[in-house]
Amino acid sequence: MKVKINGQELEAREGETILELCLRHDIPIPHLCYHPAFGGQGACRMCLVELKEPGRANNRLVASCTYPIHSSVEVTTESERIQRLRRNIVMLLARRASQNPWMKELAEQYAAPSLPPVQTEPADCILCGLCIHACEKMGKTAIWSMFRGIEKRIATPYDEAADECMGCAACAQICPTQAIKVEEGAAIRTIWNKRFQLVACRRCGKNFATREQLEYMRESSGYEVDELCDHCRKITLAQSMRQYNR
Amino acid sequence: MQINPQEYAEASRYESLIKSYPGRPQYILAIMQDLQKQYNYLPRLALTMISSHVGVPVSKIYAMASFYKVFSLTPKGRFVFRVCDGTACHIKGSETLLDQLYQHLGIKAGQTTEDGLFSLETVNCLGACALAPVVVVNGKVYGKVKPGDLEEIIRECGGQCHVS
Amino acid sequence: MSAKIKENNYDQQTVLVCCGTGCTANGGRKVYEAFVEKVKDHPEWEVQPVLKSTGCNGWCEKGPLVRIMPRDITYCSVTPKDVDEIINKTLLEGSLVKRLLYRDPVTKEHLTSHHQTGFYRKQHKVALRNIGEIDPGRIEDYIERGGYQALDLALHKMSGQEVIDAVKASGLRGRGGGGFLTGIKWQSCKDAPGRPKYIICNGDEGDPGAFMDRSIMEGDPHTVIEGMILGAYAVGASQGFIYVRDEYDLAVQYLGKAIEDARSHGYLGPNILNSGFSFDIEIVRGGGAFVCGEETALIASIEGRTGEPKDKYIFPSEKGLWGQPTVINNVETWANVPVIILHGADSFASIGTSGSKGTKVFSLVGKVVNTGLVEVPMGTTLREIIFEIGGGVLKKRKFKAVQTGGPSGGCIPEELLDLPIDFDSLTQAGSMMGSGGLIVMDDHTCMVEVARYYVNFLAGESCGKCTPCREGIRALLEILTRICNGEGRPEDVEMLEEISTTMQEASLCALGRTAPNPVLSTLRYFRDEYLAHIEQHKCPAGVCRNLTTFYIDADACTGCGLCKKQCSVDAIQGEKKEAHVIDESLCIRCGECFRNCAFNAVKIR
Repeated sequence: MKVKINGQELEAREGETILELCLRHDIPIPHLCYHPAFGGQGACRMCLVELKEPGRANNRLVASCTYPIHSSVEVTTESERIQRLRRNIVMLLARRASQNPWMKELAEQYAAPSLPPVQTEPADCILCGLCIHACEKMGKTAIWSMFRGIEKRIATPYDEAADECMGCAACAQICPTQAIKVEEGAAIRTIWNKRFQLVACRRCGKNFATREQLEYMRESSGYEVDELCDHCRKITLAQSMRQYNR
Repeated sequence: MQINPQEYAEASRYESLIKSYPGRPQYILAIMQDLQKQYNYLPRLALTMISSHVGVPVSKIYAMASFYKVFSLTPKGRFVFRVCDGTACHIKGSETLLDQLYQHLGIKAGQTTEDGLFSLETVNCLGACALAPVVVVNGKVYGKVKPGDLEEIIRECGGQCHVS
Repeated sequence: MSAKIKENNYDQQTVLVCCGTGCTANGGRKVYEAFVEKVKDHPEWEVQPVLKSTGCNGWCEKGPLVRIMPRDITYCSVTPKDVDEIINKTLLEGSLVKRLLYRDPVTKEHLTSHHQTGFYRKQHKVALRNIGEIDPGRIEDYIERGGYQALDLALHKMSGQEVIDAVKASGLRGRGGGGFLTGIKWQSCKDAPGRPKYIICNGDEGDPGAFMDRSIMEGDPHTVIEGMILGAYAVGASQGFIYVRDEYDLAVQYLGKAIEDARSHGYLGPNILNSGFSFDIEIVRGGGAFVCGEETALIASIEGRTGEPKDKYIFPSEKGLWGQPTVINNVETWANVPVIILHGADSFASIGTSGSKGTKVFSLVGKVVNTGLVEVPMGTTLREIIFEIGGGVLKKRKFKAVQTGGPSGGCIPEELLDLPIDFDSLTQAGSMMGSGGLIVMDDHTCMVEVARYYVNFLAGESCGKCTPCREGIRALLEILTRICNGEGRPEDVEMLEEISTTMQEASLCALGRTAPNPVLSTLRYFRDEYLAHIEQHKCPAGVCRNLTTFYIDADACTGCGLCKKQCSVDAIQGEKKEAHVIDESLCIRCGECFRNCAFNAVKIR
């Protein structure tokens, strides 16, 4: 169906969110808690846009990452009101990661006034929730958001090594502020208070995964897993395909 | 789910309670409430067993245990003093009661005395606002409580005050 | 003895003892048990009085209440020691125990029935119609007063759509605070495709100072159940849930018994009253989370997740519990439904204002003479409720403000007391009616501290998911705490307003959106108090300890010694009948002397 974004008419798919539509058409809307792999959470509120409501003087503010398009809507993605909101949200978040380079750049971009810093656990966490969804999708949900209100934080149960954690570090990878600490020593990786044995690629010798990760792959696929890093796995696969095609 | 042999005895205590509910997420709250009532907190092993029973990851079970304030992840005292901090009680002096309890027992809200006898909590409005300020001890409701009444209540529980 | 009873010719005397949570805390249950004991000792009486323990009558200030019917006598503040006298004098002789009657503070008259009192005269009980009149544990009592007749009528003489039409015509709006037109909600659920459909009763009453829903669930559980069955029939739902706050033990108990009794009487279960319609109800206990009063959070809680709300761009009536069409209504809303169906939409709509039909139950608490529950027609003014029904401010102190709508509401100052209470009028003044909590504050209340108190409450109750609410509350709390501690800065007020605006516009749910209300409304009507804290480092109300110094006015002090006796740190010295003195170095500024001095001799520097 047809919708209007900033005056421009676009064709939207039934049920897709405003954010998805805009991203498809390269219309920028800032977002911190949306990821194409798991959709929007409505948590950071950076993606708020104005929706024209028939019969109302003021536009309605909606989170574009969760608002499903079911009718011909008229949306504005930039306005003074929206700009002020984004600035204040960044101001409120920046104090959780006041020394973080990524956050500092964001604060500068939005000219956000600074507030006294807040100590978070882990440090620099802005509670965007990307890590827990990554863990849920890629792993076994070893971490989740615990407690509530101003005490809310991401953690494993009892802050101890979780059985479910396989040390894949997908959470650390997706975290925008690098708040999740991964320590890598000689063949040992430590993350979320748990130590993992790293397995070396049999072809190039690089440590590429934890034992637990390989075990998980074995379990969930039902197949034997070859101890090859990503790069070497592709090369090996290509070689075997070449041989097959001869 | 791995249970160590040392945990078998403990596990069997929780088993019948947990299994008395269907293994579906909608019963997590009810199972936890029964456990909390019986053991005065949520034992760690029980959370793991709930996770298996309902098919929800332990992290989410723990999230629920930490989200809902009716649950305690550490054992509570035998007598739990719940001081209502609802608006009516607040303006009628619930803070003074908390101070006085600190004088008597040496604990603040959220803490338990070392001998495990008393825990102190502030709770949301209990709905007995006409009797503000209200203190509930193990289900017994005391209304229009003055700081001077607290000593007597503590004695009734068989406790002793640091300061009289 | 039996000759005397025959003489009086009173058929069945009924003794109703209030055993709601309030009166129970005050010893009501012991009074009831005393009656039971004494009556047991006299099996020779030809006419045995019927003894009932009832739910909350509303007049908690005067409890434990004992009422004798059919003569409609009300005794106040009864203790077990009074029971003998009541039995001998009132039940057997037919005379009154004067000292237990309510004495009107103005006319000084002793009033026989509570209906004659200022507290009850202006009330109009609809949702509370049965409470105090029945034993909530007996379905027979409910049926005797017309219970389940609405259900019978609806199932056999009306279609589901006709039930919805009646609710629409009544103008009933949600009583939990949202004020959404109930009929429209039900229609939307009925029209939504998909089965099964669900009915939910929101009994998570979390506003501090509010206990309307508790009283209904404890005192008349069947009205909620009957309402839900009617709603289920209307929209085509097959399963219902009553979500009750965990702290409400008694409510859970009575609801549980009521559900069992309703089942055994054929009002719940398969093929209700031979109509072909089946419906049953399950109780779900909350886990101690105020945010679970929000619809989507409540649904998440029932589903077995943490109570985190989500954006409500699609309403629960279309996609709710487990993605199915769901109607969620508040306890008080459900309590009104049987009345609408049985007595007709017009009769309900004949009370109230044009935009807010019917009555509303309020919990009147705080610094007011008659604390308790009141039910009045919508449109009754705040002044009437506080000063006529409520009897005015406690200890004849000066009225300062009334907080309405709990943590989502705001304060209303003296100049706006003639505002009629309904869904719309208070929002213009910067507050809201909310679920009905009315907290009366006097001149010894610091409005900045009140704002801080509510924000502090929400800091622990916010689910913490979205940035504006979680971080906004954190920042508001920091600023307000600094101000109350005497560390306020000139830029604080502006920052409070800026953050508040962002929270109102950007928060995910109503908790975050309305969290700034207490801050904004106190800033609006009591800005000078904020400025006194920030600029002069003074708390005019004498509450904020770092900004208050108490002293005793020697001219006003009578030397009664009360303050000296009450002082928990022995900071006051003085001989009897001589002016007392506060040692400022010892004084912890708790304010007890200030609040309790009968001669207003304790003052603020």
